[in-house]
Amino acid sequence: MGIDQIKNLMEVFTAEDPMAFQHPEGDPWADFREVMRIELKMDFTYKHILGKYSKFFIELANKKFVTTACKNCGKVWAIPRPLCSDCMSITSWKELPGTGTLESYSVSNFVPSFMKVEIPYVLAIVKLDGADTLFTHQLRNYGDSTDAIKTGMKVKVAYTDEQVEHPMLLMHFEPA
Amino acid sequence: MEVLDKQRRVYVLGGGISKFAAERVDGNMRDWINEAVLEALEDSGTKIEDIEHSTTSYFSDHFDKQLKAGAIFHDNIGMCPKPNVRVEGGGGTGGLAIRNAYAYIKAGLCDSMIVFGSENMGRCVPSDVAQQFIALASDTDWEVQVAGFYIAYYAIMMVAHMEKYGTKEEQFAMVSVKNHRNAMSNPKAHYPMDISVDDVMNSKMITYPYKLLDNCLLSDGAACLVFATEDWAKKHSTAWGKKPTIELTGTGCGTDFMRMADRPYPEPGILHFRGKQAGAQQAYKMAGIKDPLKDFDCFEVHDAYSGVELVSYEDLGFCKPGESGKLTEKGVFDLGGELPTNTSGGLIGFGHPVGATGLAQGIEVLRQLRQEAHPKRQVELNAKRGGMDSHGGTGTFCAINIFERRD
Repeated sequence: MGIDQIKNLMEVFTAEDPMAFQHPEGDPWADFREVMRIELKMDFTYKHILGKYSKFFIELANKKFVTTACKNCGKVWAIPRPLCSDCMSITSWKELPGTGTLESYSVSNFVPSFMKVEIPYVLAIVKLDGADTLFTHQLRNYGDSTDAIKTGMKVKVAYTDEQVEHPMLLMHFEPA
Repeated sequence: MEVLDKQRRVYVLGGGISKFAAERVDGNMRDWINEAVLEALEDSGTKIEDIEHSTTSYFSDHFDKQLKAGAIFHDNIGMCPKPNVRVEGGGGTGGLAIRNAYAYIKAGLCDSMIVFGSENMGRCVPSDVAQQFIALASDTDWEVQVAGFYIAYYAIMMVAHMEKYGTKEEQFAMVSVKNHRNAMSNPKAHYPMDISVDDVMNSKMITYPYKLLDNCLLSDGAACLVFATEDWAKKHSTAWGKKPTIELTGTGCGTDFMRMADRPYPEPGILHFRGKQAGAQQAYKMAGIKDPLKDFDCFEVHDAYSGVELVSYEDLGFCKPGESGKLTEKGVFDLGGELPTNTSGGLIGFGHPVGATGLAQGIEVLRQLRQEAHPKRQVELNAKRGGMDSHGGTGTFCAINIFERRD
């Protein structure tokens, strides 16, 4: 009994004064240096609505890349927006060919473990043909070396036939 | 935008910092805020019972598993039933909280405001969970799902900057060397280090072009600032007239699309922080800044990643687009240079407990203008002005504040 009664107890320890350099007369918090650490668990599942851009993901499953064009100013947002934030008009869906140019990219040799990707992992930002803004996604199948990746290179949207963890992963970019 | 009441001015009375460190196992956000508040009250010569309003500055509700943490901080320091408001703007939270103090005092909602901020980022969750929490501050429907995370976003910006302007990896590394070095004379800094450009270049490659030592770390810590009008300070601050008088003379804020991909293409596109340019222009107009490189004695610049500091030099108007790397090579931004930046060590050297970071930047400017900084990092005062640049997302929210010494 005693401290062992605490099921989620991790440890009890004595902490040092982290600002001892500021306390030449002694630790003002000396009475408060005994510290307990416990384990807290949180685990949720969300029922997440993808809202008015759901059609983008539905069409990805049909191997089509659709986005939105403003009915008023004509701007084509590569990442769809139901409302054109340039002129506040409601947009309409428009299919793009899925081809484009690599605008910039980064190559990660380390990724946090929550990202279920192989390394090196290439995050690309692409100017899609027919769009006025850019689109961010992974670049895959670039060959044996990331040295082959150059800004300005032609890329295309590629679709997967595999099961995916999120509808966004139905697509990625590949060299065209 | 026009400041109508030029008679009603806002002064920075004092500040306090609870040490920034990788993990503060001695306590939690409440404990660190208490420490920072006690130090700020002592520094400003004020009593909490006289202060009329507080602002809470923290970014994430995930790290501490506590919503409305500001209510706890506020009651811990005996501020109830007086008013409190929370400000949140990602990495720019602290800068926005300072701006909030200006707005509330200037508008007459209060004559005095205590602003406290903290973040419990250290090791309460594993590092990759922390990265996930931070990634939640980018668009979770679009960017996070393609395995976007902040280093990768910023690296995309830097690759574009390198290709357009010829900026070099070694120039990023110089920023890291300078900021780690400056932190060596800041006892409250998380990551003081005497390192070379080679050390940075040879550190583990995380995301090209960023290596391990180009990045700031996750820190624990807290900071606090006290602001007031002159009339209030004369009545309630025993330090008024004894310590140099520091005024908050300019504040600006700018924003950009959350997702880099949506930003106006091709210019400024992903090359520059449009929100920072806009925010700086507002703040400079208010404070009468004509030539930022000469009109400031010091500047705390957002450096979550070394390259961000370089791009920020350009967007804050210290130099023309593309020139930041060359000026850095010349030592313009070193201690003893024309405009020393991140004398505290910045986010890279001092640390980045997000909600405290912008406040700590303000405190560094306050210490510099009062000539209270450690002698090894004290700048020479000429213009008697210092600035700070607080920035969230990939430049999604930017807040720029200017302090000026009144002799």
